[in-house]
Formats: sequence, C-alpha cells, structure tokens
Amino acid sequence: MSIPSSSPERESSAGVQLECPSSPPGMDADPPSTGSPVLTPDSSSHDAVLSAPAASPADSENLSPDELELLAKLEEQNRLLEADSKSMRSMSGSRRNSGSSLVSSSSASSNLSHFEEDTWILWGRIVNEWEEWRRKKDKLLKELIRKGIPHHFRAIVWQLLGNATDMPVKNQYSELLKMSSPCEKLIRRDIARTYPEHEFFKGQDSLGQEVLFNVMKAYSLVDREVGYCQGSAFIVGLLLMQMPEEEAFCVFVRLMQEYRLRELFKPSMAELGLCIYQFEYLLQEQLPELNVHFRSQSFHTSMYASSWFLTLFLTFLPLPVATRIFDIFMYEGLEIIFRVGLAILQYNQTDLIQLDMEGMSQHFQKVIPHQFDSCPDKLILRAYQVKYNPKRMKKLEKEYTTIKNKEMEEQIEIKRLRTENRLLKQRIETLEKGQVTRAQEAEENYVIKRELAVVRQQCNTASESLEKAQETIRELQQQRYTEQFVNNLQTQLEQSRLREAELLGALKEMQDKVLDLEKRSSSLPDENNMAALQEEVKQMKLRELETLRSFREMQDAVTDLNQRWQHHMSRGSSTGGGGHWKESPKKNAMNELQDKLMTVRLREAQAQAELREVKLKALQLESQNQIHSKLIGRHEQERSALQDRLQMLANQNKALQAQLNEMKRKQAESDCKSKEEVMAVRLREADSMAVMAELRQRIAELEIQKEEGLIKGQLNHSDSRQYISQLRDQIAELKNEVRHLISRMSVQGVICKICKAVL
Amino acid sequence: METIWLYQFRLIVIGDSTVGKSCLIRRFTEGRFAQVSDPTVGVDFFSRLVEIEPGKRIKLQIWDTAGQERFRSITRAYYRNSVGGLLLFDITNRRSFQNVHNWLEEARSHVQPHSIVFLLVGHKCDLEAQRQVTQHEAEKLAAAYGMRYVETSARDAINVEKAFVDLTREIFELVRNGDIQIQDGWEGVKSGFVPNTVHSSEEVTKGSRQCFC
Repeated sequence: MSIPSSSPERESSAGVQLECPSSPPGMDADPPSTGSPVLTPDSSSHDAVLSAPAASPADSENLSPDELELLAKLEEQNRLLEADSKSMRSMSGSRRNSGSSLVSSSSASSNLSHFEEDTWILWGRIVNEWEEWRRKKDKLLKELIRKGIPHHFRAIVWQLLGNATDMPVKNQYSELLKMSSPCEKLIRRDIARTYPEHEFFKGQDSLGQEVLFNVMKAYSLVDREVGYCQGSAFIVGLLLMQMPEEEAFCVFVRLMQEYRLRELFKPSMAELGLCIYQFEYLLQEQLPELNVHFRSQSFHTSMYASSWFLTLFLTFLPLPVATRIFDIFMYEGLEIIFRVGLAILQYNQTDLIQLDMEGMSQHFQKVIPHQFDSCPDKLILRAYQVKYNPKRMKKLEKEYTTIKNKEMEEQIEIKRLRTENRLLKQRIETLEKGQVTRAQEAEENYVIKRELAVVRQQCNTASESLEKAQETIRELQQQRYTEQFVNNLQTQLEQSRLREAELLGALKEMQDKVLDLEKRSSSLPDENNMAALQEEVKQMKLRELETLRSFREMQDAVTDLNQRWQHHMSRGSSTGGGGHWKESPKKNAMNELQDKLMTVRLREAQAQAELREVKLKALQLESQNQIHSKLIGRHEQERSALQDRLQMLANQNKALQAQLNEMKRKQAESDCKSKEEVMAVRLREADSMAVMAELRQRIAELEIQKEEGLIKGQLNHSDSRQYISQLRDQIAELKNEVRHLISRMSVQGVICKICKAVL
Repeated sequence: METIWLYQFRLIVIGDSTVGKSCLIRRFTEGRFAQVSDPTVGVDFFSRLVEIEPGKRIKLQIWDTAGQERFRSITRAYYRNSVGGLLLFDITNRRSFQNVHNWLEEARSHVQPHSIVFLLVGHKCDLEAQRQVTQHEAEKLAAAYGMRYVETSARDAINVEKAFVDLTREIFELVRNGDIQIQDGWEGVKSGFVPNTVHSSEEVTKGSRQCFC
C-alpha cells in the first residue's frame, strides 16, 4: 500500500476513517505557518549558520581565521542571492532571472573568481584533513558542500562522505562480476535507457553502459533482497561519471545501506510511501493552499514526487543542478530531497494553483526542470529556507507505520471478509438451490435406488441364467454326454448302414422280383397276340392232329388195302388156276398188270402217305422251330431289357450309396461342429463366469461406495449430486455390461438349443 | 486553444517493463518516436484529444506506468480512477505475453467495484523477424478475456491511433448505453462542458473550482 491509495480514501469519505496528517490538532507547536515562505533568514530555526554572522562559540574556536573569513564570504554570497531572488518574486524561472542574478552578483564576481581558486585549495586541504573537518568543522563543511563540491573533487569527496574508502566489499567486486545475476536481463534492458543523451553512456557498446551494467549486476548479487530496481541506475550512472567502477560500486553500496535508499528500492517500496507521507505533511504544513488545490485536482503527490525520491532528482532536473543536490545528499541524506521538493513547489505555487491536473503535469514535465538551470544556488538556498523538523519526521514515521499496519490489517480483513462473503453467497446459493434440488435429489436417489434394485434383479436373473448356462455347459462338457452323442451318431451310422444293407437287400429282392415278374411276364408277352397266336397254334395243332388222324386212317386204309391186295394176290397165286378164272390167259396178263399197277399204286400211295407224313412232321418241326426261335428272340429281348433294368438299378444303387456317404460326411462334420461348439461354449462360460465375478465385485464396491456416498451426501449436498451422477454413470455401465452378458447368455442358450436339436 | 469535448476518459497503460508503453504514448500524444528514453520511474502523465466521429471529441488522459513489478504499489492507485486501459505486451518477448494474465488480475483486483475496459495491444509489430507471439494466439487470449486485440508499432506508427481510438470508441459506447456511469469522486469518466469556456493545459481558468462534474 502506498500513500496515494490512502489519499483518495481520505477524499472519498465514508468507510475508512484514517488519521490524517492534515488535521493534527495541537500537535504542531512550530512557529507561525509559512504560507508564503518569506525570505526571513531569522525565521528558519534550523539553519543557524545562515542567520548568524558568527557561528556559535563552540564552532568559532575550531575555525581558523581563514575559515571564518570564508564563512563570511559564503554568507555574503547567500545574502546576495537572497536579494536577487526577492526582486524576481513574481516571475517564473526564466533566463531573465539568471541574467539579473549575474548582474547583481557581478559585483562579487571578482571576489568569486578569486574565491574559486581558493576553494580548490581549500578542498584539497579538506580532503587531506578529512577526519578533522568531519568531526570538528562540520558546520563549515556543510556550508561548503552546499556551495557545491568542485567537479574534480567529487569523486574523492563523495567517497569520503559516504565512508566508502575502505570497504571489504570492494574486494568482492571482481568476483561478483564473474557471477551471473537473475536480474541481468532486466538490467541489460534498462542500461540502454539510462542517461541516453549523455556522452559517457551513449551507444550500445559504450564504456559507460558496460561499467553501469557491471555495477548494477554486482549490487544485485550483493543485495539479493533489493536486486535491481529501475531508477537506481541513474544514481550509479552519476557515480560512474565521477569515479571508476569499483569505487562507484562501493559508494553505491554505502548509499543503499546507510542512506535509506535500500528501503526505497526494496520490492515493497515501503520507504517511498513513508517519504511521500512525510512530504505531504510538509506540503500541508507549509503550503496549505497549494495542498488544497492539489487535493481538489486529485493531483497526488506520488505523481510527481516518486521519481524525486527514487532517483534523487536525477531524472527530473538537469545534471548540473541534480549533482549539486547530490553533493548535499551525500552529506545530509534524504532531508535535502524533502527540502528541494518543497522549495520547488513553493517556487511554483502561484503558477500551479492556476492549473488543473493536466496543466500541472505538463508544468512539472516541461517547465520546472529548467527553472534553476542558470542558478542552482537559488534552489538550494530556498531549500534551506524550508522548515524541516527531524523529530516531527520521526513522529510521522511512526504514524505512518501504524497507519500502514492498520491498512494492511484492514486489507487482510477486507480480503478475508470478501472471501467469506463470496463463500457465504455461494452457500446461500447452494442452499437456496438445495431446497429446490433436495427434493429432486431425493427423487433422483429414489429413482436410482429403484434402478439399482432393478439392475440387481437383472443381475440376479443374469447370474441365474448364467448358472443355467453353466449347467448346460457342464452337461455339454460331461464326457458321457458327448460319448453318448458320439455313440448316438455311431448307432445312427450303423442304422443307416443297415438301412443301406436293407435297401440293397430290398434292391436285390426287387431285382429278383423284377426278374420273376419279367419271367412271368415273359411267358405272357404280347398278351393280345399271344392269345390269338396260341389259339392259332392250338387250332393248328388240332388240325395237325386231325390231319394226322386222317392221315393215319388213310395209312391204315392203305395198309389195309395193301394187305388185302397182298391177300388177294396170294390167293390168286394159290389158286392158280382156279377156276373161275377161266378167263383167258390174256385176261390173266392184264390182270397181272393191273395187279401190279395196283400194288405199285398202293405202294405209291403208301409212299406218298409216308411222304406226307414226313412232310407233316417236317412242317411240325418247322413250326416248332419257328416257335422256338421266336421264343428265343423274345427271351433275348427280355434278357436285354432285364439287363438294362439291372443297370438302372445298379446306378440307382450307386446314387443311393453316394447319398449315404454324403450323409456320413455331414454327420462327421456336424460331429466336429458340435465339438467346436462345445469348446466355444466352455470358453464363453469361463468368460461369463469371470465377468459375473467382476460384476458381483463391482456391485459390492458400488454398494459400499453408495453407503459411503450416502454418508458423505448427508454431509455435503453438492458432493452427493456429483456422486449420484457418478453412480448413475456406473450403473449405466453396469447395465450395459449386464445387457451384453445377457445377450451372450441368450446366444449361448440358442447355441445350446441348436446342439440339443441336432442331437 | 478552444477545445470542446464530450467526455474525458482516463486511461492507464500497463504491461511489463520495456514493452514500449512510454514510446507508444509519446507517439500518440506527441507524434514522435524516441529510440531511447528514460525508464518510467513511478507514473507519467499525458493527454490528447481524439475525434471518434465527426463532431464528437473525447479527451484522453493517459497514465504511463512503470513496468517493474515493485512499482505496482505506486501504480495500483491509478487503476481505480481509470475507465479504460491498454494492456501492452511485446511481441518479441514471450514473457511479457505470459504476464498479461497477471496484469489483468492486478488491475481487476484493485479496481473493484468498478471495472476497466481493456484493449490488448501487441507492441513492436515492426520487429516481425523476432516475433515470439503469434497474432492468432494473442487474438485467442483477447477473446477469452473479452477484449479486442491490436498490433501496434510506435516506431513505424502502425495502428497507434487505431488502438487509442478503438478503445475510446468502445468506452464511449458503454457510456452512451449507460453501462458505464459518471460518478462523483470517480475520475474515470468526466463529462464535457459547454463551449466558450476555455480550457487547456497552459490557459488559466479559475482558482480551485474547476468545471468538471
């Protein structure tokens, strides 16, 4: 927290009531208010040297007559300056002023030039007799420093002033340069921006930048707490303009440690706030009108004064003026900053009061820096006319720390309250929502419970079906069953073979029957014709028989005749002569011829009858022969037909055999498949077992979690919601798994059914 | 110099050290570019008038802040009274881009209960060869924070006017809609005043009483 934050708070009223330096009732016992710091040397309580022509008796004893004379000269100069500045009261710092001051001091110029030479010698003496001067002649020393240290003496005098001549840290310097610092990058970037216009530091590879970097880096390593702070480079730069790096480093270390600078540059920058606070007090005390104007314009002190303290005016005023101030700073410390700051404000009061915030900023940026270019002494003189009470400053410091602590506490409290507020708001929100959602949650809980119960049931049924599946699998697995199965298959095979054999037998029977039938039917071929032909044949045979009979009768008749002839013949011969035959021997010859003819004719008839008999027989034989040949032909036909049929039947047999083989093959395949199925079912059963076990475990876990969750839910509503959603997710997952399992079960059941069906 | 402006907006320019805040502001307010300039110790103040539309002028008061972290204790005080801000990072310095988040948090925590309208600015866009932050990712970040993004270069005077004018326009719209209101004791937005009253940095108006309200 810095002062500016407290100032607007003071303005904005309400809320925080802080102690304001602006109203310290009865605390300020100082002499009359310095509304317009008139140049009355008498009124300044602090600087007795200026007012009194002779120093206090204690001092005068230490001063040599030379020095006393010197003192007198200095005072003379001061008075001249005062006179000058009186005459240019109302004008803003312009060249004219410097001109007039030159004119007015020209009378003393001869003294001055002579004086300058003297000062050189003087300073030489001072440097040589430093201890003595420091202890005994400090008042004069102070005066002399205020006048400005001659340029060439600055290096050594600053070191003496800062007591930096014999520092142990000096020896560390070279070591430090070798190390690397975390602030290096930052330093690098800022180096190029430090005193960019100055010869020594111009250009990226300039020697100035290099040594500046070194010293800043070295310091950042020596003082890790401060590290590197922007702005400090300007002070170091100034030192480097006067002296080499090691010495500058030592002086800088001293400055930081002994002159409150370290506190200013620390990361907290607490000291800056304090300085601003103290400065504001001075402002309010000594330039109240201006203060009021600043307040009304919200022109905070930190807007213009921060860089004054941080860079000791090195960024605000031109180098010559700032260096003068630095001289004094080396001897008197931060006090001079306050004085100069206030002097500047006092000098510009009338101008500033007429400007608004913007105008004032512009004024500060553009006008003020060059007001004392020509005559820095005036500024310093004015600075010493500012009232500065160290005790008061100390008191302010204490005030400030208490204020800061309070602020800090308040900030912490505010933060705490804010977070509490936020938490409470959140709580209210959640509670409000909770009222609405509690019912929802209860409902959801109930629904989830039911779902859980349903899922459990499903799980149970799934497990039951799983067990059943397991049993069936076990059955399937049982060897006997499979053996039976195989046996069944075997018996089936045998049966099929039997059938085949039977078929074959039947086939053969059929063939035989067929043959029989063929035979039978062969005897009745062409039934229609057969009957007719048979009848014809019968008739023919009847005729034959008849003819035979007739023939035989004829034969008999012939033989009879023949016999009779023979008989006759024999009678004739025997009777010879018989008697009646007395006919004539002529008639006997004829009779003999006739008898011969008759016998021949009879023989012929006999022969013919025999011939006819033979012919008949031949005919008979021929007809029989024809019949037989026809029979043979028919037999042959039948035989060929039977052979064809036989072939057909043989083919059918083959086909049937092939089918039978196929059947056998298929059976073998189904054999294998069933075995595979058995294996697969086994595997699936194992899987489902495992999954089932997992599921049971998960359900158990879930139950536990749910128990836990319920307990937790009682403690924290919002958590339970999340938990419930988690549960839900888990339940959904479980459901999915159970579904999968059930589907698997069903598939397995189907397969089992198929197997059973096959069997 | 007569100036008639509708509103006066106070802007703050924040960002890491050496990203180019002072340069950008100087380019905008003074029209010049200084290759090297002092690091800002504390805060600096600048102002300029912009005309967002013909006849509509807005006065911008711009605070230039020190980038180094320890100066935040000083610069914090200026957040509260600012209505708008330019959040700068250097496109050739990745670290400065990563710290944008910190700056935003810093500003937001110190500006309560008000809020600042920010514009994310990627500066030094002329140094394309050394770019370490792509335009795309910066635009994404800006969108995530609900602000616009502009790439600028003070050296080459790229988008400098645009950055300030865009931000001014955005704030102007919010003021016109009533989302941002003028409040007593808050310096972020001040309304303009009647013509014929001379007001400029050098001119004299009155004593302590000014015409802002």
